[in-house]
Amino acid sequence: MSMKISIIKPGLLSTIQDTGRYRYLSQAVPVSGAMDELAHRLANKAVGNDDDNATIEFTYADASFKAETPVLISYSGDGACLVYNNELMPAEKPLFFPTGSVIKLIHNAIGMRTYLAIAGGWDVPDIMESKSTYLTAAFGGFKGRALQKADVLVGGSLLSEVSNGILNHLIEKSLTYPNWRISRESLLPENRQAIRVVLANEINWFDATSIISFLTNSFTIDRRSNRMGYHLLGKSLVRKVKKELLSTAVTPGIIQVTGSGDLVILMADCQTTGGYPRIAHVAAVDLPLCAQLKPGDTIHFSEISRDEAEALYLEREHDLSLITMAIGLKYIKT
Amino acid sequence: MTEQVGYFGTDIPIKIYGLSEKSVTIKFGTAIDHDLLCLITDFNQLLLQSPFSGLITTVPAYTTLTVFFDPLSVMLSDLPGQVCFEKVSAHLNKIAQIKREKSSTIADKLIIPVCYGGDFGQDLSTVARTNKLSETEVIDIHTAGQYIVFMIGFVPGFAYMGGMDTRLSTPRKEVPDAKIPAGSVGIAGNQTGIYPMETPGGWQIIGRTPLKMFDVNRLQPSLLKGGDTVTFKAIGIKEFNAYAEI
Repeated sequence: MSMKISIIKPGLLSTIQDTGRYRYLSQAVPVSGAMDELAHRLANKAVGNDDDNATIEFTYADASFKAETPVLISYSGDGACLVYNNELMPAEKPLFFPTGSVIKLIHNAIGMRTYLAIAGGWDVPDIMESKSTYLTAAFGGFKGRALQKADVLVGGSLLSEVSNGILNHLIEKSLTYPNWRISRESLLPENRQAIRVVLANEINWFDATSIISFLTNSFTIDRRSNRMGYHLLGKSLVRKVKKELLSTAVTPGIIQVTGSGDLVILMADCQTTGGYPRIAHVAAVDLPLCAQLKPGDTIHFSEISRDEAEALYLEREHDLSLITMAIGLKYIKT
Repeated sequence: MTEQVGYFGTDIPIKIYGLSEKSVTIKFGTAIDHDLLCLITDFNQLLLQSPFSGLITTVPAYTTLTVFFDPLSVMLSDLPGQVCFEKVSAHLNKIAQIKREKSSTIADKLIIPVCYGGDFGQDLSTVARTNKLSETEVIDIHTAGQYIVFMIGFVPGFAYMGGMDTRLSTPRKEVPDAKIPAGSVGIAGNQTGIYPMETPGGWQIIGRTPLKMFDVNRLQPSLLKGGDTVTFKAIGIKEFNAYAEI
């Protein structure tokens, strides 16, 4: 039988997301997917799912839901903490709740987005090979829209061997969870305000002072920030080369410089092409940090090389594969 | 930042640069040009026919082709190089060395019906006035032309088309409209395009097509793709409604 929840309070913006829609970029279909892909993947791993299973992305807190069946869920991220019977629930850990449990999301001041995974992944149709919601064109996810009060969400009926293993250890008449958890902290740098970047192709379009200013000054996340991109407030950059950039492919993480010299970090729902010169791109391993930034937060950029960024990415993937292996070893009989 | 990878059966040098950990961009030239479009379309087709291990997808644009890949698969491949950029570049370099046959692209020719003017094309008069033409002349010139899809961008299925008669050139609106209905055919500068879905936009709207330019239920959701050739056919409101009912 499939696991099921109903939404009591949907919160500010709650959508179904997975690791993104990559194969239709040439038709201008954005990647979409979880803004904080790391938290999304850890929430999935904690219940024995594949990384690309769908989760719910909650924005801030003020949301709640009810278990309509016994459910095996987990959460990760910095926008909210899960609370059950006034007890704070641990993150990055499988949590078993009996039918009728009401679970609330309360505010977590650290960040913005929180991911809720269910064993088997949230079961919504695949649109162009992904379950991610793209609100602008109203497709994907749950009926192409944000979650609303009284929506009923169902988990996939096919559980992985690991999910079944976790479930067999936890199934009880009341809340249970194991004594292990994934350490998300160990994957994140201590200073979450320092964003590592790789300088981009149009770097020489900017004057030297502007490049130094970009790498030394602080920037503040503006209110005009959403799943498409973040506008940054700070010292404007000056262009040395005034020619137009013919529109070319862009991707989440790229930092564009607008006509007025302001910075925009492109995020999950960004357009597939852009015509603004690019000063840098955020290292893939630090993009999850950006996903948790709120309007008013301050960041600064530090430069790393393309090869360093790749090495960090491969190291992160290696660490993540070890986590999957460790959880698997606990529950798969060999 | 950029490194030359070679030539592609022609004397046009191409360059490659890293876009992110998971993508590189090949730059074929510096200006919008039909020959360049054919070159990019051919290169794209060759690459998709002989992909490297880890290739995910490609995105053609005016002067570039961007290649997305999975770094883990690329690192496991036996392509020469120490890092993804070198390995992917090595493969693209190999593609670039293939002697280019007579262009054999998979481009399609499409006729797009458009109901011009009236409520469907509120800026037809602006385009006429700007170019000192009558509205009928604007429609005649627009339907006489053959257009080339340079790329799909902005929103899913939005085709940037070049090749428009310069007698119709009209600047974008200074203040974009908050809502442009799906199917609207517009002009911006020397380009023409069709809005696949309701979005804000600054193009001068001269008519509307009843065709669904983007439909998630189709195998290829976007009706148009880079390299396609398009002509427009003027239809009346009756014919428009007949299409819309299908």
